[in-house]
Amino acid sequence: CSAVTGSGRKLKDNAADWHNLILRWEKLNNEGSGVAEKIVDQRLKRSPGEAAAPPPGSAPPNPGRPLEQACSELVGVVSKMASIVAKMERLASSERGVLELETFQRGAAGRGGPLFHSWPTQLFVEQSAGLLQCYQKELALKQRVLQELAHTGPQDLCMVYLSCWLHQPYIPADSRLALEALLLETGHRAL
Amino acid sequence: MSSEMSIPSSLALQQVLRKSFQHLETNQKTWHSVLAECIPLVGSVGNLAQQLRALSNVNIPNTPLQAFPDLQQRLHFKLVLALDIVLEKLNEKLVLLQSVRDSHSNQLMAAFQLYERDADTLDLYTCTQRSPVAPSIADMLEWLQNAELYYKQQFLKRKTLLHSLMPDDLSLLESTPERWDSLETSSGEEYITDTLFRVSFFVESNKGE
Repeated sequence: CSAVTGSGRKLKDNAADWHNLILRWEKLNNEGSGVAEKIVDQRLKRSPGEAAAPPPGSAPPNPGRPLEQACSELVGVVSKMASIVAKMERLASSERGVLELETFQRGAAGRGGPLFHSWPTQLFVEQSAGLLQCYQKELALKQRVLQELAHTGPQDLCMVYLSCWLHQPYIPADSRLALEALLLETGHRAL
Repeated sequence: MSSEMSIPSSLALQQVLRKSFQHLETNQKTWHSVLAECIPLVGSVGNLAQQLRALSNVNIPNTPLQAFPDLQQRLHFKLVLALDIVLEKLNEKLVLLQSVRDSHSNQLMAAFQLYERDADTLDLYTCTQRSPVAPSIADMLEWLQNAELYYKQQFLKRKTLLHSLMPDDLSLLESTPERWDSLETSSGEEYITDTLFRVSFFVESNKGE
């Protein structure tokens, strides 16, 4: 198989990395969902009712303790997600590098045939860029939600924050297909 | 087969009834577990409806999320997608409930066909005669018939409820868990459990033969 050395090897390893990073992201997302729910619960308990009024003067001792703990847990989750996106950026840039090398060696026409089954090298670059963009946007949303979640706000908005976290609006359902296509092309999944 | 003529028709019918109750027991187990599997799904429907409601109450450009102008649309799409998936799963459960209903109806039909075939030899006395271990044929046919009615009505009510749901009718979706729960008639479930108790000696009595 031509895929075991050089550019093919690199793209194949990258595909496996994409798969593992996305799995880890999903795991972190589930973990974070639980924590985010805890935060909203705590917050609603502290300020019951729709209009989140400032807590009354005689607050129970240390009401913020579990809330604080949950918040720092969520900070931890988001920073792990940020490091996943950083790794995705490196993957995408290494794929651009593979394409540039190919153009440098063989000119604009590229190689004669595909490295694997049917994808031209350009397609790897496009797919990676597409996936990367989704996760970058989703990370930005998560970071925003993280900043706002523990602050006072109407109950509906809190619910929207939780929905955002849980349903990941910037990761479209077909990104899963893009990943599977990548794994299929590089031979990680049997045809 | 010589047994065809030598076994009195009441015994043959009892044999079929015995089998029907054995089936009823497995059917009831399936029915029960399928309904239990529906509970979290129905809960999800209500929950997703609440999330959709919250989203429609929030105007994203006026919130800290204003940096994400397409968020409303994207989140709405994802929520509807999730709702679709849950409803699809509930539909699959509905098919399982239907198959329980059909399986029981078939058993009942077999018993009645046999009864009608041999109706001439099954006089009133034979049909109403009971012993400490065996209920009368008439009673058992009636119990099976009532169980059928229960499955039919329950299936129809649950199907109607699920088919009435529309993705844009939030209040209907939100009230789904309560309405689903209210369809549960404890008397119906208990009736089948009681029936199975009442025939347990009768069903067991043939195991050794």
